[in-house]
Formats: sequence, structure tokens, C-alpha cells
Amino acid sequence: MSGIARELAERALEAAPPGDGALARAESERSLMLRFARSQPTQATSVEDAGVEVAVVRDGHVGRASTNAEDDEALAACGRRAAEAAEAAARAGGPGPYPGLPAGSSPRGHEGHDPETARLDPVLGGAALEAAFSAAAERGVEAHGTWTVGEVEHAVASSTGVSSAERVTDAFMKVVCIAPRGRSGYASGVAVAVGDLDPPGLAARAAELAAAPGEPAELEAGKYPVVFEPAAVGELLELLGHCAFNGLLHAEGQGALAGRLGTRVAAAAINLSDSPRYGSTLPRSFDAEGVAKAPLPLIQDGVAHSVVHDTASAALAGGRSTGHASAPGGDPFGPTPSNMVMVGGGATGAAALARPVERGLYVTRLWYGNIVRADEALVTAVTRDGTFLIEDGEITGPATDMRLTDGALSILASVQALGSRAELVSDGELYGRRYARGSVCPPLRCAAVRFTGAAG
Amino acid sequence: MRTRHERVAVRDGAVEALDRGEDEGVGVRVRVGGAWGFAATRQATPSGAEEALHRALNVARTQPASTGAELAHEPPARGEHAGPCLEDPFAVSLEDKLALLGAADGALRSQPGLAVARAELSALEVQTQFASTEGALYSQRLTECGAGLMATAFDAGGAQVRSWPASHGGSVAQAGFEHVRGLDLAGTAPRVAEEVVALLTAPDCPAGPTTLILAGEQLGLQLHESVGHAVELDRVLGREASYAGTSFVAADEIGALRYGSPLMNVTADATSAGGLGSFLWDDEGVEGQALPIVREGVLRGFLSSRETASEIGLTRSGGCMRADGFARQPLVRMTNVNLEPGEAGTLEDLIADTPNGVLLDTNRSWSIDSRRLQFQFGAEAAWEIRDGRLGRLLRNPSYAGVTPQFWGSLDAVCSAPEWRLASVVNCGKGEPGQLARVSHGSAPARFRAVEMGVA
Repeated sequence: MSGIARELAERALEAAPPGDGALARAESERSLMLRFARSQPTQATSVEDAGVEVAVVRDGHVGRASTNAEDDEALAACGRRAAEAAEAAARAGGPGPYPGLPAGSSPRGHEGHDPETARLDPVLGGAALEAAFSAAAERGVEAHGTWTVGEVEHAVASSTGVSSAERVTDAFMKVVCIAPRGRSGYASGVAVAVGDLDPPGLAARAAELAAAPGEPAELEAGKYPVVFEPAAVGELLELLGHCAFNGLLHAEGQGALAGRLGTRVAAAAINLSDSPRYGSTLPRSFDAEGVAKAPLPLIQDGVAHSVVHDTASAALAGGRSTGHASAPGGDPFGPTPSNMVMVGGGATGAAALARPVERGLYVTRLWYGNIVRADEALVTAVTRDGTFLIEDGEITGPATDMRLTDGALSILASVQALGSRAELVSDGELYGRRYARGSVCPPLRCAAVRFTGAAG
Repeated sequence: MRTRHERVAVRDGAVEALDRGEDEGVGVRVRVGGAWGFAATRQATPSGAEEALHRALNVARTQPASTGAELAHEPPARGEHAGPCLEDPFAVSLEDKLALLGAADGALRSQPGLAVARAELSALEVQTQFASTEGALYSQRLTECGAGLMATAFDAGGAQVRSWPASHGGSVAQAGFEHVRGLDLAGTAPRVAEEVVALLTAPDCPAGPTTLILAGEQLGLQLHESVGHAVELDRVLGREASYAGTSFVAADEIGALRYGSPLMNVTADATSAGGLGSFLWDDEGVEGQALPIVREGVLRGFLSSRETASEIGLTRSGGCMRADGFARQPLVRMTNVNLEPGEAGTLEDLIADTPNGVLLDTNRSWSIDSRRLQFQFGAEAAWEIRDGRLGRLLRNPSYAGVTPQFWGSLDAVCSAPEWRLASVVNCGKGEPGQLARVSHGSAPARFRAVEMGVA
């Protein structure tokens, strides 16, 4: 599909009224997703789609319109709708706050495309499912999960000189194994190349967690030391992305880092950045406004360093876009990091992290995370698919799932140690047109995390 | 399927968003043996559909063997249907929409102390042409429209938010622009702004077991999370275990599971006028129905598809299969899951009948475990109830509970004249992800000994 998005973007820009600037962003997607449950296939979805969004600026207002049609008439109509919207906004409100489309830049390339993955071979998917079913059966559990591959092309062209395109692939597999008595375990993998997934290994890991012997221990609500696996760390970082590193909330004074940049917000061992071309991430070159992405420190040695901006939030804050627009003209919910990377520490693994813990929890993943109050970074989520009790430095057996309700920054402030092996984690959520994301996270140990009760 | 949407938002006197979109395409769903295959293409032509058919067959055939259940019988759906829409929202000029939102935004900002004022409206039209090898052939057009306000204020003590008529997109109905005109955003805005500023200095909502009155959006979301999702039959059967989760409800518990108190009567109703979960046919060609889910506190039914209904021995699907656009296959989704009205009179009557308690308003946060058992909600505002009267405004209210115990504590539901629909427009489920839009009808209801102040 090479070049579909670039061609669409260029044709749409050419057809759009100029306004005070115009931009066309196009995306094309080819993807395949296989789902399974109870060690049987349940759903298979193959998508081929492409679309374009046109943004026209008039007197500081942005009008946007989108279509997935590709004929000249449809593209011209799309441009007209965007221009009409911008004109109507300008007539209604006088000069608007949008400072104008960013100038063209030269995004750096990356190695985020794998031709084998782009074949979207359903036979590979079928084999992955068979491997998961087999590994689960060997351990007397059932396998549930997802295997998916996709190829996406993004392109942005604008009247201010942006002309960028990139092709990326992604592959994701997760396995949730459930034992006859209801205990579950989770493992997932995400990569640019489908060949880097390990379906039998993932299934074996998930099955091992599900088949752990013993009755789950029930813990009272309270504060406990916790060892978080990378998937759980990734969920916490995702929530922080929305409430702390979100440049719009920050500029409005509602973000969790408002007034705290340059101050200690996390343990000194915490180093977190947004690194769009880090080795094991899903790389990206530019954002929805065509602004080149570049590494951005978020927390350095525990000190809050930056938040992320699109052009609109940067104008509000008096700064510059950091290349985090998810929509031309800005997202009403604000920009968030796309490629977070947390630097690991010296611990060799989960066992080493658990060793100093007298009584605490080992958490494989967090689920249904939500922000309770953004300005406090107060979040809630439940543990799921692999929660264990740590006693006297050993992971001794299963524990019931618990509800975490605590400040995400407070949790990072209580980090005592990090594992040496950081891995790319993703929840694999793909709403709308495909945009795979993930964070690179190590496992870590926190001194005290607040749990408000049992869950599930 | 052909979809049109529009979203207009004004923030602090400036236009924040003016988005208009449309897309069109074909989704083909096939079954080979027991395995499903689905393929989508934007090429809405005979050759495009044929190519999608081949892809769907190919992915179905390359999966491991499956032992899917037979599909429950359904007479082929044929005909045309258009949902209610008096004033086409796409025919209303942008100028009129911006004027309406501008007036509301201005009325919000007339109150000193606001940090952010926001007013928004949205419209959606979905046209579906459905055909099956069983002989179904229908077309259906559904139109949705809605609007809302949000005001934010903050000081050193933190940020407070008030939304109206609801958070998360406001009040959206299956209707035309007449629904937006009927909301009187500008007329209500001063009270909304006044309340958010008052919240800055309001005391925190006390913690501990409390008598709780829920209404509107928050009661709708309570129904959504702890009843609607829990009775989706695909979850009950383990089909969604790896993502949305399972359910504490078992498939063989119809007639046996005590879900709540005898005052709890819940209906899944695809015929509720104005409901976002209303339609004549679902995306599997099954006629929309009104089905009892809970009667006098006992489980009576599930939300189902033709396959899941058949799997547990039901003779007919509940007609709950819906797809989020042409590029997604239909899933078991909620129709309007409604709490039937009771006999407790008006909200004022219910408050007068409550010596001590709290009235909660407007959702702010939500989370529930993967079996739909333990939940936690936060709301924008609360009012204490003392001696049967509303008292002080309280900030940062939150509560938690366990589904059957919580619904078991239901001891009063207001009467039919108080019954309203509330919308949920961001219900995520499925992989690739799908957002569904649904409404929940309820009248204010009272729950005893609810654990407050958990967050």
C-alpha cells in the first residue's frame, strides 16, 4: 500500500481552500486481528481502509473535516466543509487562539516497518492460536486472547511546507489463561515485527500464572509494598500521560505537574522520557500536524522536567509544540506522550525485587484504570490476571485481586528499586483507525501503595 | 454503512473544535464451520464487497477448528426504518450552532472565578443497509444529537468540575436538533457556574456507610457498569475474558440469582423512545425487543446474539448485536438497560423521606473489576440530606460497593413521572476497539449503607 496516504494527503491539500493555512492528514490501514476464548477462535477481523482529515485555519480558528472517500469530488467537498467550519468560527468569535500551522521540518526516519508483518498472513495467526491452545492444554487451563498484525501509513501535507510520510507495522499478542477454578494469568508481547512475538512462550507464562497452586490469600484494605510487573507500570504511566504530562491540562493549571516542574515528584531513581525512536519502541517520526518528534525528558532523577504539547496547547502555555498533536489544530482533551520509556535499574528480576518485602503484593497487570482527580494524579484501577502475595521476601502464592486508589506520582515517589530489563508493553487497545502505542517499562518495587479493598 | 458526524465545541469564548466527518464502507461477516470471519473495505461497490467476502472466508478458514453453536432462528428482516428526527441536525447552520454554544459559554463565564468554560454539541447519523444469505434485506437510518456544558474552577485546594445535563458529552438522544434546542443550555449555565465555584470552598463529602440517593447520569452509569455489562451473554460465556472481562453471573442462573432487592426491575429495551440503544433491527438482522433482565430483584434474562442465545438454549436472540461502523463486526452490546420506576413519588418526596443521607450528581470517574462485581465511582457534587431536606453542597464524593449487595440495598425508586433517559456515549468493548452509544432510563433511587469516601 506504499504511498496511498501520501497521495491522499497531497490531493486533499491541493483541493482544499487555502484559508490562512491548510493541512491534510491521511492514514491508510491494513490489519488482521484474530481473537480466541476458551481455547477456540471466536472472531477474526480484516480491515482495509484509508481516510483523510483536512484542517483549514481562518483568523486563529481551525475547521476540520474528514472522509474515507478518495475521488476528487469527495476530497474537494471535504476541504470545503473544513473551510466553511473555519469561516463560521471566525465570523462567530473574532480572532481565535490558534497561532497557525507549524512550518515544515525534517523528521528523522526509523526502522518501524517490517515487510513480513505487512503480509498480514492469517496462517501465521492460526499457528499462533494453535500454539497458545497447546501450551494452555498442557497445563490444564484454557487460553483466551488476541493476535493481531497491522500496517499503517501516515502522511501530512500542509500549505506551510510540511510533506511527511511514514509506514509502520505492529504486531501484538496477549494470552489470558484461566484455570478451572477461575484463577487467571496474563502475558503479552508487542513489537514492530511479528517474528519477534513468542506465542508459545506467552501462553506458557500466562498458563504458569493461572495454574499457580494454593488458595488466594485475602488482604485487607491498606498500604502494602508492591512489586509491579512492566504491564502494570505501563498502565500507571498511561494514566500519568493524561493527567500529568498533558500540556493542555498543565497550561490550564489543572494538570498534576502544574507548578511542580523543576521539583522532585518521584524517587531519584525514576528517569522517564518520551523517546519516539528508542530501540524497542513502536517508532514514530512526526505528529498529526507534521511536527517532527524528538526525545523529550519528562522526569529526570525524580525531578519533573517537561510536559508534552501540540501547537494549540503550546500557544496557551507560551511554548512550542513538542510533536504530540493527535489531531491537526489540537485535541480538546490535550496531547499525551506517545512513546514513554522508563530507565531500568539494577535488580535482576521479580524475585530480586521481592526479596526485601516482608509482606506485600506482586501485581502482574492493572486494569480499568481511571483518573479520579487529575490535579492530584489520583487514579484507581484493579489488579488482574496474576496477583500474588509476597511474604518474607518470597512470592508465596496467589492473592485475591485488589483495587488500587492512590496518587500515581506518590507511587513513583515510593519506588525503591527497578528491574534491569525494561520491555515494551501495550494494552493492545486499537480504537478508531489503527495507531499502536506502547511504553518501555521495567518491573519495579514501591514501598507503599494504597489499596481500598478487594476486587473481583 | 454510511456514517456522518459533527462535533462543535466552544471554550472560553473561542471555537475549540469544529469537526465534520463522513465515512462509508462494507463489512462482510461469514461463518465457515464454527469459525467466524469478518472483512471490511471502504470500496462500497460490488467488486469491493466481493473482495471483502474472499478475505473474510480466507481468515475464517485459516483459524483452528471451532465448535460454535448453531444460530438461533430469526425470520429474515426486510423493510425500511428511520429513527425519530424532527429537525435534521446536519441542516442546521454552523452559525446557529455556534450562536447557541456561544450564548451558553458566555452565560457560564458571567460567573467570576471560572478557570475554563466549555459548551459542546454533537450529531451523528448512521445509515445501514443489511443483507444476508438467509434472505434479510433492510435499510435503517438512525440520528443522534446532544449537547452539554462543563465549567472548571480551581484554587490551591484543587480543581472542581460541574457539567450539565451530564458529563462525558452532555445529554445525547436519538433525535434531531430539537433535543439540543430543548436543553436550554444558556438558561442553566449560570447555576452550573455558581455551583463549581461553590465547590471550591465546600466541605469534603464525609466517609463511611451512608444512605445514598442516585439519579440521572450517575444512576444510569451504575446500571450500565454493574447490570448491563454483567448480563452480556458473550461475557457470561467467557468470550470476552481477555479484554472486557467475564461476569459474576452464570448462564444457568436465570430465575435463581438474587441480583437486588424486590424493588429492582430492569428491562433491556430497544424500543425506548429517544434511547441511543433503540433500533428496529440489530446488526445481525434481529428485531429490537424489550426484554426483562431483572424482575423483583431476580435475574430473568441476558443481552444476547443469535449464537450466544442458542448456546444456552434460548429460542431467539435478544437482538443486541451492534457494530461501530462498517469496519467493525457486531458484538453483543447493550440496548437501553432501564430501571423501571417505582412508587416513591417525586425526588422531593424521596428526600423528605430520608432523615440522613447524601444526594449525588453527575459522574466524574468510574472503574469496575473484570467480573463486574466491585465498583468505585466518583461524582462531581453531592448535597447532604438532613431531616428530609437538602443541606450543604459537598465536594469530591465517591462511593464503592459490590454489585448484588449494592442493588440489594435499594429501598426506594421514584415514580414514573420522574423517569428519564441518560446517555452513555463512550462504552468501549471489543478488539479492535468499538465505542457504543446507549441510554439508561431511571427515576431517582435510594440505597442504604453505601460505603462513601473511598477516594
